[in-house]
Amino acid sequence: MSAPTYQAAVFGATSSICQETLRAMLRQQPARLLLIGRNAGKLAAVADDLRCRGAECLTLTAPLADFATDWASLLPQHSANRPWDLFLLAHGTMPDQEQALADGNSLAEVLAVNFVSPAVIAAACGAILDRQGHGTLAVIGSVAGDRGRGSNFVYGSAKAGLDTFLAGMRHRFAKRQRIKIVTLKPGMTDSPMTAHLTKGPLFSSADRVGALAWQAIRAGTPVAYLPGWWKLVMTLIRWLPEMVLHRTRL
Amino acid sequence: MTTTTREMHAWGKLRPARATVCTPAWPPAALPGPGPLLAYGLGRSYGDSCLLDGGTMIETRFLDRIRAFDPHTGLLRAEAGISLDAILRFCVPRGWFLPTTPGTALVTLGGAIANDVHGKNHHRSGCIGNHIPAFDLLRSDQPVQTCHAGDALHAATIGGLGLTGLITAAQIQLTPIRSAFLDVELIRFSGLDEFMALSAESAATWEHTVAWIDCIAGGASLGRGIFIRGNWSDRGALTLHRPARLSVPMDLPACTLNRFSVRAFNTLYYRRFCGKTKTLHQHYAPFFYPLDGVGQWNRIYGKRGFYQYQCVTPPAAGTGPMVQILKQIAASGQASFLAVLKTFGHVASPGLLSFPTPGITLALDFADRGARTRELFDRLDAIVRDAGGRLYPAKDARMRADDFPRFYPQLETFRNHLDPSFTSEFWKRMHPH
Repeated sequence: MSAPTYQAAVFGATSSICQETLRAMLRQQPARLLLIGRNAGKLAAVADDLRCRGAECLTLTAPLADFATDWASLLPQHSANRPWDLFLLAHGTMPDQEQALADGNSLAEVLAVNFVSPAVIAAACGAILDRQGHGTLAVIGSVAGDRGRGSNFVYGSAKAGLDTFLAGMRHRFAKRQRIKIVTLKPGMTDSPMTAHLTKGPLFSSADRVGALAWQAIRAGTPVAYLPGWWKLVMTLIRWLPEMVLHRTRL
Repeated sequence: MTTTTREMHAWGKLRPARATVCTPAWPPAALPGPGPLLAYGLGRSYGDSCLLDGGTMIETRFLDRIRAFDPHTGLLRAEAGISLDAILRFCVPRGWFLPTTPGTALVTLGGAIANDVHGKNHHRSGCIGNHIPAFDLLRSDQPVQTCHAGDALHAATIGGLGLTGLITAAQIQLTPIRSAFLDVELIRFSGLDEFMALSAESAATWEHTVAWIDCIAGGASLGRGIFIRGNWSDRGALTLHRPARLSVPMDLPACTLNRFSVRAFNTLYYRRFCGKTKTLHQHYAPFFYPLDGVGQWNRIYGKRGFYQYQCVTPPAAGTGPMVQILKQIAASGQASFLAVLKTFGHVASPGLLSFPTPGITLALDFADRGARTRELFDRLDAIVRDAGGRLYPAKDARMRADDFPRFYPQLETFRNHLDPSFTSEFWKRMHPH
């Protein structure tokens, strides 16, 4: 069997949306995947699953919030001398907001994991795409970044920062038609991270969100709401005057 | 691991349980807390065998990774929370199918093992437990262990209602298919004797047999129905099923299904084709999973929920007891349109508490109409008991505690393998003192 021609590096490969995105990818095509995450055991479990589904997998254990790692030179060492078709950034955590607000270190850590780290890695990936002249950088943001809301603004502000960072990168690469920067904005997704929340009709399965994420990556959609109707919901929420918003408990 | 307290439901939605629910994203190396504990998959057990009030329920549905697959032998190893639906989405395009399957694919692999589910090919292939060479079991008193076919703990866990520990991963031997379609014959029959003759005639040449039976019709029409038999086809592509497109949006009023609407449905369904037989080239989805196309169909029975009654009567008793059962049901006018009749074969499952035994099995749904429904069940129980038959714990919400050891003679052996930290509402109900 010849080696797959599509190659991707995936940060935070153990997140459930990310696993589903990769499964959706493998339903359409084989791929060579470099899976990067903090926990070797969990990475191995994900790699097993994706291998069975037709991927050639390598795993790399790395502390993703360690900004000293020089990804721009490290990634090419794992590229088998082939270009990267996709960088997928999926790491992040849903924090306990009250705890983060009460403790500066904890707040700084939340912002580091959800904004600083993906921004640093996105910049490094951008440099590689620039050299290669083609490829896609896709980053999992969140609808929570679209407006600061009392219930979730710590996480939301990190994702908002990331959104702006990626919009800027997109602008920078606007004339390079073979380089795509994709911001993925899942809405509420049924995953272990949200297992403690009551599931209403606004929740989508990770399976569905992953399939839509892969569609957006393939199409190079600049900003993709997952599913698409979140775009409408978030537009309405963004337009709410503060006076009205403050009467809600969103 | 995320932990929360919430209400958990079984498929019949009769009595919810309030439990601490923990939802692992990865196969755990240790169990959460001292217990009492119970695994919860997709909540498709009808009665209360999947519920534990006041305890800790371990929700397994995110343990869904395939860990190994041999494309030459069809041996698949996966985490226990993977659904049969997800296994199909993986294996059908590769030319493999489940060795046997229940009437819904929306159950987890672990749940299928714990209830030792059976399907339309029972007379050929036995239960799912006949196709599970090994699984990993996490018990409260030891680290994860692998149990192989032939081990005592393997036999106790298959059909063991989740009471021997937490199944974290399992191997399943898939079966090869050349097409995702089946060659199917539908044959109208007018009564139980004709059903028995069709079953006997089909056993050798048809891999899948089952019958829909009209449980409202009495008198001369008693036991009429449609016999359905199918073999995997050589024609057709390895086409995957589609996810459900329709869903029942809310609990329907309890009166939606009444003897008139069910009678009308049954008459139309019985007459759905002209002549005595009809042949079809049918995809596996409508053949095996006709109801998976409609999300949350359990809402049609209304807010009060429903029971499913599934029993088996042994061949030695003949068709007499089943005729009695059908007469009781027809006279009560309480049956729904979802009624299934099948003959089990002689392939023995390794499971100590496995339900299928040779004989005729009947499964049908009853909306909860209070005392009237429970009194009917008591009358049916008496017939099953006298015939030497048994009921299926995975479906049960009201079996008499003294019937359980009578129905399951290996219960005492099974008790030796119970995990002391695990229990369920069903188990508590069977042990009232």
